[in-house]
Amino acid sequence: MRRYLRLAAAAAVFSLTVTACGSSGGDDAPAADGGGLGTAQNPVSIRVLANDAFAKQWQDQLVPEFNKKYPNIKVTVDGVPYNDQLAKSMLELTSPTATYDVVLGDDPWMPQLAKTGGLVDLKTDLTKFTDASYDWDDINAAALAAGEWDGHQYGVPVRSNLLLMFYNRSLYKKAGVDEPTAETTWEQYFKDAAKLVQDTDGDGKTDSWAVGTYFTKDPLTPTIWQTALNSAGGKLLDENLKVQFDNETGVKALQTQIDMLKYAPPGAATYQFNEPLEAFRQGKVATMFMWGSVYKGTAIDEATTTLKEDEVGITTMPAGTAGPGAHRGIWTAGVAKKSTHQAAAWTFLQWTTSKEGEQWIGANLGTFPARNSTLEGTPPAPWLKPVYTAISAGYDAIAKGEMWRPRLPESDAVQQILALQTSRAVSGQATAQEAIHQAATDISALLKSKGYQQ
Amino acid sequence: MSAVSTSSSRARASGPARGSGGPNGRRRLRLGEPGTAWVFLTPAIVLLAGMLLYPIIYTVWVSLSDFDVSTFQPGDWVGLKNYEAVINDPGFLQSLKVTGIYLVIALPLQLVLGFAIAFLLNVAWRGRGVLRALFLIPMVVAPVVAGGIWRMLLDPLWGVVNYALGLVGIGPIEWIGDPTLAMVSLILIDTWRWTPFVVLVASAGIMALPSDVYEAARSDGASRWQTLRHVTVPLLVPVIAAAFVVRWLGAVKMFDIALAATKGGPGQATDVVNLYIYEKGFRGLEFGSASSMATVVLMITMIITFFLFRLSRYLENRW
Repeated sequence: MRRYLRLAAAAAVFSLTVTACGSSGGDDAPAADGGGLGTAQNPVSIRVLANDAFAKQWQDQLVPEFNKKYPNIKVTVDGVPYNDQLAKSMLELTSPTATYDVVLGDDPWMPQLAKTGGLVDLKTDLTKFTDASYDWDDINAAALAAGEWDGHQYGVPVRSNLLLMFYNRSLYKKAGVDEPTAETTWEQYFKDAAKLVQDTDGDGKTDSWAVGTYFTKDPLTPTIWQTALNSAGGKLLDENLKVQFDNETGVKALQTQIDMLKYAPPGAATYQFNEPLEAFRQGKVATMFMWGSVYKGTAIDEATTTLKEDEVGITTMPAGTAGPGAHRGIWTAGVAKKSTHQAAAWTFLQWTTSKEGEQWIGANLGTFPARNSTLEGTPPAPWLKPVYTAISAGYDAIAKGEMWRPRLPESDAVQQILALQTSRAVSGQATAQEAIHQAATDISALLKSKGYQQ
Repeated sequence: MSAVSTSSSRARASGPARGSGGPNGRRRLRLGEPGTAWVFLTPAIVLLAGMLLYPIIYTVWVSLSDFDVSTFQPGDWVGLKNYEAVINDPGFLQSLKVTGIYLVIALPLQLVLGFAIAFLLNVAWRGRGVLRALFLIPMVVAPVVAGGIWRMLLDPLWGVVNYALGLVGIGPIEWIGDPTLAMVSLILIDTWRWTPFVVLVASAGIMALPSDVYEAARSDGASRWQTLRHVTVPLLVPVIAAAFVVRWLGAVKMFDIALAATKGGPGQATDVVNLYIYEKGFRGLEFGSASSMATVVLMITMIITFFLFRLSRYLENRW
């Protein structure tokens, strides 16, 4: 009797084991959940932690387009204000469970996000979910590098952006000044700037100025002179992460931004993102150093601009001794390690950054591509042609001059220091030399406190 | 505890049937008045401890540790290292100075304006009800919105303020671009937003003043100034003190208007201490230093508030 009981128990255990194996990882599993991509009866839901500047656009336009191909992956895009996004993303990636499957980060954030250990290496960890046609090598190396840290690819570029120079052809013509090109130097630019401050309606009052860009106390403001520094061959930090800009090149670069204010509209000292953009779109400034992604709203969308397409030119920023300038500002997206829907999350990102996705996004959302084939091919809309030319030149410039913010987990803290000292210099509370020296001292102290050799 | 013991002894004295708590043998627990009070207070205490005490303790804990950004948790214990760094941080000391300047100018200005307007509104005149209602508008506008709107109004190129000044040949004025004027603008915006609160409090205080004292003053031949100096102001001292303390507590934590209007700039001209801490913590991810600063500010605020309460009580007793 006891033997029968033992046999029955063993049989029960075996049958349970077989059942368990079948439900967790057997051959039927992929069919049941669509291989992680959901089925009509059992769709998969993923959440995306994005920036509020484009979250709604993604939810309303990008997701429906994605769902045409993948109808069983339900995507919710949550927008977070820029100032809170890094901290929220860090909290998310370090929490015990994943609320978000996809996490987006601005260009300098990847080292911080990756350091949490909460992101997967897209190239090695998700190979089994990667489409055979997904061409990594086609993505521009400088753009792809924004999602890389410590030898791992944690993110793919989903919103490629570069700091470029926009110019108003009508105002250049009115001032009798030749349009800028990729070869225009800073010296030439300032010569032209003096003429571009003008009275366009002949009432005796100045009503148009030369430049609009960031001048206020903001971490993005120093990117203007950082670009000037890079295009003069200078660097913020050297290979050993030691401060390298407390010198004549650094002072000259900051002075470049200070001097711009002389040719900017009244009140430009407080300009952040919106003000210079509005001034340019209203025809109040002849040039604007701004993120290229605003091109569509500046030159094409009649609802947001007074300018016509043929009035707006776009090129790289003025050249220094090392070449033309641009500054990388690429949003990358990664997949959360704790996500239970990694296949769906990575599929969403693959489609977004695929050749097909980039074509659709370029034409409909105005976002720049990161793929060389997209940049070199026929643009999905005619107005994108000059833009793609400028972006290609910009990518070359950033790759050559390493024109990006510091690639280390303390990147934002470094930008904060630069923002404060830039603001002091721009508002006349310190000279360019004093501000550069103070910024160098503070950054050096910060990095030393974090264990870097200084 | 004593209340429970008393109930038990009473139960024993009243006989076995009642003492055993009824026919089912259950004992009836009587807590008495203090015990009942604690029972009702417990949810509030638990809530307060969770919402107030825990964040404070956590902040102090973070301030004494090396915050590990990779785990987003307090790491190794570093003692007072963060506090040493904070004390030697010129930016933090500057932000304390900026906050002090803002408080010293803004608070008295808002109190004087608030009580003056309240006196005007207390006099019967046609349309004062509408004005009273309009006065509430700034209070219900979100601080960030207020800061943003004022930023637009004060813009030298597009703003209506400079346009109006331009009509009489003044300007354009760099309200927010100039370091000195930026502080003036910040105080103006804050005063625009918070003076109505003082007006409300002052109006309530003025309306509650006893009329018989004024009749007595009138029959004694007191002039308007004498009545104000020797009757109204002394009677309003508790209200003024209360309004000051409430405004002080509100003003000391101000940062949203500065964030929206000036971002603390130019340089550190309007970098109030809470904005500095916020930027340090949530932008620079320097949570250890930011928590130390927050703890220092909490201590300073508690000490000053303690003295303000003492002063307020002294003034109340004096009159």
